[in-house]
Amino acid sequence: MGGPALPPKENNLFKLIVKSYETKQYKKGLKASDQILRKFPEHGETLAMKGLILNCMDRKAEAFELVRKGLKNDLKSHVCWHVYGLLYRSDRDYREAIKCYRCALRIDPENIQILRDLSLLQAQMRELVGFVETRRQLLTLKPSHRNNWIGFAIAHHINHEPAMAVNILDAYEGTLEEDFPPESERYEHSEMLLYKATVLEEAGQPEKALEELAKKEEKIVDKLGLREHRASLYLQTNHVAEAEEIYRKLLDVNPDNYLYYEGVQKCLGLAPNGGIYTSEQVQKLEQVYNDLCKKYPRSAAAKRIPLDFLEEDAFKAAFEQYVRPVLKKGVPSLFSDLRSLYSHPRKVEMMEEVFLKIVTSLETSKTFPGSSDVESPSTYLWTLYLLAQHFDQRRQYEKALSYIDQAIAHTPTVIDLYLVKGRIKKHAGDPVAAAALADEARTMDLADRFLNSECVKRMLQADQVELAEKTAVLFTKDGDQHNNLFDMQCMWYELASGDSHFRQGNMGKALKKYLSVEKHYNDMVEDQFDFHTYCLRKMTLRAYIRMLRFQDHLHSHRFFFRAATSAIRCYIKLHDSPPKAVAEEQEAVIAGLPAAERKKMRQKLRKAEAKAKKEAEEKAKEEIAAVVTSKGGKKATHVSRPVDTDPDGDKLLHVEDPLSEALKYLRLLQEHSADALETHLLAFEVYFRKGKKLLALQAVKKQLVLDPSSPDVHRCLIRLFESLDKQPKPDSHADEIIHNVIAMERASLKELGSKSLLDVNRDFLEAHGDSLKHRAAAAEISLLLSPEAKSEAIKIVEDSSEDHASSFEKQWRATSKKWMASQGLCSCTSVVGDFFQRCSCCIKVVSTLCGIVPLFNIF
Amino acid sequence: MVCVRQATFDDLLDIQNINAVCLPENYRLNFYINHILTWPRLLHVAEDNRKIVGYVLGSLDEELSYCHGQIASLAVLRTHRNRGYATKLMRAAEQAMRDVYGAGSVSLHVRKMNNAAFCLYSKTLGYK
Repeated sequence: MGGPALPPKENNLFKLIVKSYETKQYKKGLKASDQILRKFPEHGETLAMKGLILNCMDRKAEAFELVRKGLKNDLKSHVCWHVYGLLYRSDRDYREAIKCYRCALRIDPENIQILRDLSLLQAQMRELVGFVETRRQLLTLKPSHRNNWIGFAIAHHINHEPAMAVNILDAYEGTLEEDFPPESERYEHSEMLLYKATVLEEAGQPEKALEELAKKEEKIVDKLGLREHRASLYLQTNHVAEAEEIYRKLLDVNPDNYLYYEGVQKCLGLAPNGGIYTSEQVQKLEQVYNDLCKKYPRSAAAKRIPLDFLEEDAFKAAFEQYVRPVLKKGVPSLFSDLRSLYSHPRKVEMMEEVFLKIVTSLETSKTFPGSSDVESPSTYLWTLYLLAQHFDQRRQYEKALSYIDQAIAHTPTVIDLYLVKGRIKKHAGDPVAAAALADEARTMDLADRFLNSECVKRMLQADQVELAEKTAVLFTKDGDQHNNLFDMQCMWYELASGDSHFRQGNMGKALKKYLSVEKHYNDMVEDQFDFHTYCLRKMTLRAYIRMLRFQDHLHSHRFFFRAATSAIRCYIKLHDSPPKAVAEEQEAVIAGLPAAERKKMRQKLRKAEAKAKKEAEEKAKEEIAAVVTSKGGKKATHVSRPVDTDPDGDKLLHVEDPLSEALKYLRLLQEHSADALETHLLAFEVYFRKGKKLLALQAVKKQLVLDPSSPDVHRCLIRLFESLDKQPKPDSHADEIIHNVIAMERASLKELGSKSLLDVNRDFLEAHGDSLKHRAAAAEISLLLSPEAKSEAIKIVEDSSEDHASSFEKQWRATSKKWMASQGLCSCTSVVGDFFQRCSCCIKVVSTLCGIVPLFNIF
Repeated sequence: MVCVRQATFDDLLDIQNINAVCLPENYRLNFYINHILTWPRLLHVAEDNRKIVGYVLGSLDEELSYCHGQIASLAVLRTHRNRGYATKLMRAAEQAMRDVYGAGSVSLHVRKMNNAAFCLYSKTLGYK
């Protein structure tokens, strides 16, 4: 230790401080530290420890101050550095914490506590090489501790060295007695053995893995896991007979796990190649599944899987056999079960034939076709219900509504009917009716939260935000809707809410919701911190590795994707049409008033502002008071609620540089959702506006790789080069380099080559003349490139061939004609909005339109 | 396509979502992470066309001296009822408790008013 050592009395007090900190007796610790400081006010380590304790009492600013002071007084104290690191860690500043720990270790390189803390941070930050080294040191210092062996092995494993990990585990096992483990550690030891087999598999040694499992079988507790792993390993090592045997045994236990069926198929060489089966395979599969169905008569999977590989008549027959008993039983999720079949147009036709035959037969004779058993009325009801969903899927909304209305007339008490009707209405473009129906369903069973959630969702889709909030409150704890839904990470609600605000043009509130989702993901990444120690203790190692990998791709999850893409869109909008400052808006209002009233209005506004500010302060004080009183009764680990200084997202709305904010989220998307076209479409929009030509070009190139025929990609491509062509000649050396690079890239893009942009557009139109969406894109581009040739652009849309347009496209065409005729002027947002209301089309249309509107803002 | 299988890490966010939509007792994600890291074999999901439609969280009562299982939470989307998912999930959980941990008994809590759940547990599954 640096500075002068403390005399014995103070030394004992210091030990007391440390003990008090460890046992969370903070007041005691503070008292002891103050006693020392009275006599030795500059003692570095005491100051640091006092700071550490204050930090645990939520007095963060004071804590940091004291620790820094202590450190300054005693730079050579590993205790001070360690404490400083702990403070940073509690603040989630892991990089700084690591630096501090390293300093501490330079002074006291064999301090196990510091090494352990460092290893946690390194695992958290995925500093894999450092993690391995630290765990090696821990093992060297204390080889008697089981966790140090396991920890070292794990470090190698996640550092992509599975073979090394196996060696460590072998060495560890070598230190154990023959009769290990004792009864109390059977489960943990078993987990370690299963983990070892997993690592062997990843090291490319499936045979060795099998050997291990065989040798250690009696010590393995998780028999089910053992079987599943063995089966997979047998498959990998081509022991198909053994594998098949195990999969069949697994089916005996759970004939509803389609992974086992897939396993059996693989063993028999009957797995599909790219989703396609040969006709020989189909024949064999039929036989296999006939047997399986007989063996497991209650398994739904055994009956359903054949519908995927059967074709034509065989399919039709099996399909009818499958559907009948389910209709009899009255299962609302039948359609959901069949939905994957709808990507095969031929199967869709056959399904429709079967449905219509059944419904007619039930209508006329209350029997299934070819049967004489009279069915109960509910069979007819569920058939109508199924048909409604079927036509909804085929976008024939009038037919769908007709069927569901018949169903409701037949049995008005069945709640599911209203949910489906709501869904149809929403698809048909009437979200308000959908919300009303969902609400009706909700009132039929007020104790069911699912119905409440569905209703809230529909209300948000209909932009009835206040009503939605009031409804959601019925199920939240303590009726505090906003905070509770946030605390419980209800992301479906936040996304739906954000979408509604976005549609209504409230970017601030929308951003608030989207960024809440982002915060949840940050919290989730943080959550893993405690588990680095926990999993070593519990020895659930396979699960631990999976957790690390799960965390690594956490941000590719669909909720985050939606939140990030939506937030970027908000920022783009804020860039394109910046919000007026509040003062400006008020001035505009005042200017519109007659002179006499202006002074009054100014006073009124000022009063209102002062009042709002006071109310916010009062509320904040109340919240803090509530937290303080509740903390008294709760554990010391209770986190106080930070006061929300921006409840309506005003600060977010008035952010200085929206595009830079957007970039933060864009980077995460580029890292975790690089295969999504939308990522690169948004990347283009951001870089284009920022004038980053090369990055914009890079984004377009990535788009072309993912989907060269997409109309959105076509738009980006032409817009980019149209803008680049208009640029003045490069005057600086750097600009010239960029210019040359772009020229080279342009030549290499096969979509462009050396063609003029107009020609590119013409070729695009020719290649995709059948699709209205593509024609619309071509029309826009035509207008962009030759703004005078408006009639030509309109003609492109009008010429869309009647035969190839689906019903939804037909509607879209009719209304887009009107819109194109209005010349798509700059301030057409209101026209577009109005247009959308009149045009009852799906969401797809809206997103296409949103792509169009900013384009025309360029004029 | 009905499928009842062990839950993986990638299912956790979906499990949380179903819980938030269907039940008033909700948890933050680290509750689920903790659960799957403590008793990895006692979480099961029901899947329909690669979409999670139900789940069961089982656990063990560590305080008792004998091995006793518990059902911490179970939910199936309302749109997917009457297909036996809940029964299958419960049986999968019970099976795992028996096979992996050697549990001899299992208990759970249910609201008296929740008729459907009460029938499931008492009549179909034989709880007393």
